Amino acid sequence: MQCLVRQSQRLSYWLPAAQIHTTAVQRTFWEREKKSGYKTKLPEPSKKQLIIDGLRDLKAEMKLWREEVTEQLTSDPILVFRPGEIDVAFDFKAPDVLEKWTVTTDADHGEGKSNATLELSASGAGLFHGEVSSQHTKDGIIKRTGYANIRTKRVRKSFKRETTYDWTQYNMLVLKVRGDGRSYLINLHTEGYFDLMWNDIFHYVLYTRGGPHWQIAKIPFSKFFLSSKGRIQDRQSPIPLNCITHFGFSVAAKKGMDGPFGLEIHYVGLEYDPSHQEEFAYEMYKTPKYIVAT
Amino acid sequence: MIRKLPCILRFHGAAAQTLYRQQPNIILTRNYAADAKDNRNNEKTRQSSTGSSKSLPAARNPFAIAQEKTKNTYLTMVEIFMERDIHRRNHVEFIYAALKHMADFGVEHDLEVYKALINVMPKGKFIPKNIFQAEFMHYPKQQQCIIDLLEQMEDNGVMPDYEMEAMLLNVFGQRGHPLRKYWRMMYWMPKFKNLSPWPLPDPVPDDTLEIAKLAVERMCTVDLRSKIDVLETSELKDALDDTWIVSGMSPEQSKLLREHSKQKALYIEGPFNMWIRNRRINYFTLRADADVDFLAQLDERQLDEDDVTKIDVPFFGRAPPRRHNQLGKLRSVHQQDDGTIMAICATGTSTKDSLLSWIRLLERGNPVLGEIPVLFRFLSAVPAKAEEIEAPSSVPAKASDINSSSN
Repeated sequence: MQCLVRQSQRLSYWLPAAQIHTTAVQRTFWEREKKSGYKTKLPEPSKKQLIIDGLRDLKAEMKLWREEVTEQLTSDPILVFRPGEIDVAFDFKAPDVLEKWTVTTDADHGEGKSNATLELSASGAGLFHGEVSSQHTKDGIIKRTGYANIRTKRVRKSFKRETTYDWTQYNMLVLKVRGDGRSYLINLHTEGYFDLMWNDIFHYVLYTRGGPHWQIAKIPFSKFFLSSKGRIQDRQSPIPLNCITHFGFSVAAKKGMDGPFGLEIHYVGLEYDPSHQEEFAYEMYKTPKYIVAT
Repeated sequence: MIRKLPCILRFHGAAAQTLYRQQPNIILTRNYAADAKDNRNNEKTRQSSTGSSKSLPAARNPFAIAQEKTKNTYLTMVEIFMERDIHRRNHVEFIYAALKHMADFGVEHDLEVYKALINVMPKGKFIPKNIFQAEFMHYPKQQQCIIDLLEQMEDNGVMPDYEMEAMLLNVFGQRGHPLRKYWRMMYWMPKFKNLSPWPLPDPVPDDTLEIAKLAVERMCTVDLRSKIDVLETSELKDALDDTWIVSGMSPEQSKLLREHSKQKALYIEGPFNMWIRNRRINYFTLRADADVDFLAQLDERQLDEDDVTKIDVPFFGRAPPRRHNQLGKLRSVHQQDDGTIMAICATGTSTKDSLLSWIRLLERGNPVLGEIPVLFRFLSAVPAKAEEIEAPSSVPAKASDINSSSN
């Protein structure tokens, strides 16, 4: 009997089905898809519907494409970024702004009990609010939960081609927000081509003052640090500002901060500040071999 | 791709370790079963209702059944375990059990306790002797256990010190994975520890009044001239609630209040949430509608310099252009687009009556407030007076507006 049990244990080691693991499982050989197993299968529309939708989108895509070509032919890019001028990247007072953002929480995959929404506030700005909770189903796999997140949709060109933001001319992120005293995480996704780089996110903290007054936070891009899947990486590098694919905010119920949260956002802007000369805020000294990034 | 390679190697390393270590596992399992039976009998006699020992292999869990939950008992239990026998069997399970029950003993923020737990590990035994052992995570369970311990420290914001590095070096050697975790923590944690522009005491005080003071102070950093007053409603004759009010107001706000039209109402709005670390407090604002004419006039002053369609020639029949309204009023920081904020407060009971008392107390410095109509505009239901929320006699009314999220 024991022999059988042992055999099945050994078998189960090679079959990635439901089993009990005695050690930490590392399935990091390669990633099948970008969501790392969290992809929700949505029902696919019928072929007829796809054709109708495609034809309907064609008009808008053609218009976008025409704009792109015109811009290319005009060939009049902005060359001088005047110091002190804020170029607004995401304006929450613009029309149809809420459609550009995706809200996610840990409850989406049944792993937590947080909820969040993004809507327009009384003053017309975007209000990201809800409740984060660190409670979760005790299934023995999930250790800690409690987050809510908003993220922009992938930036794209005409005909649904993916592209990236190019913010190389700026060195400051400027946010006009009204928070509740919590600290939020600013996420700049720099999703790469290979599976290793799919989860590259540059983070920094947004401390909010709280209270009824608006707050303008200026954060240099040099302060952002690289992490992947929530872990700070040992090999850091300055953020590649021409490769930004998404922008987002996160809030967590860490350290007993379960409860309601609310972050009102007027705009997220970019600025070039010539007095800020720092390239990267963290040390880049040589590290011992076979210790770092293992 | 290079970043992946050590992971693959470690995967195989773990596999080899697991297969190799299966034989002794069975013996241990039998021990646990016997222990569990023992423990069940024990529990029946002791009538203890902890139940948390079920999920752990170490069936006799001294942390769950401890009567007195203090730091001293905790450290004594660690000491007893260390002195019980020379082999210190099940020390990984013991450390996991100890980590799990830290919060019950209130020691999760104590560095000394974490050090005591690391001290349970035998010194020198787990140091790899050749490069293969070093590369394939020598004694993976023990290493993972200490990595989890360090992670718990990180989650609780406990920063290690150099003594801990020496201890880890003695246990796992220069190439140990817990050491790598330790070095990462020592690199990043000091960088983030004092990053906040609004520093707070750690831990934050339990007293609601102290938290209210911290919250109002933090909100008033927007105007450096702000003054924070702690008012008592007992100073007023006909106040129903006997409580405190923390009020923040600056001379500039008093000035705005004086200039406010007596025909236009002021609003007391709230309750809004404010977080001070993991404590939440409600606050209220005294707000007027935005002075639209004034704000529009400010916008007019900002000429678009890029607009070249209307360039006035100053030589022909026109006076030279003058900056508009150069001696006009400047916009105050309190004049927001969606309203002018006159004052902020947090009260002990968050009731209508305490807010009314707040306005009356504000009237002493700002007599004009007596002539302006003040309206309540609440986001959620606010009781009229403290008696209504005092229903459970065990809970004092003062604690009603704060939600310690630990419960």
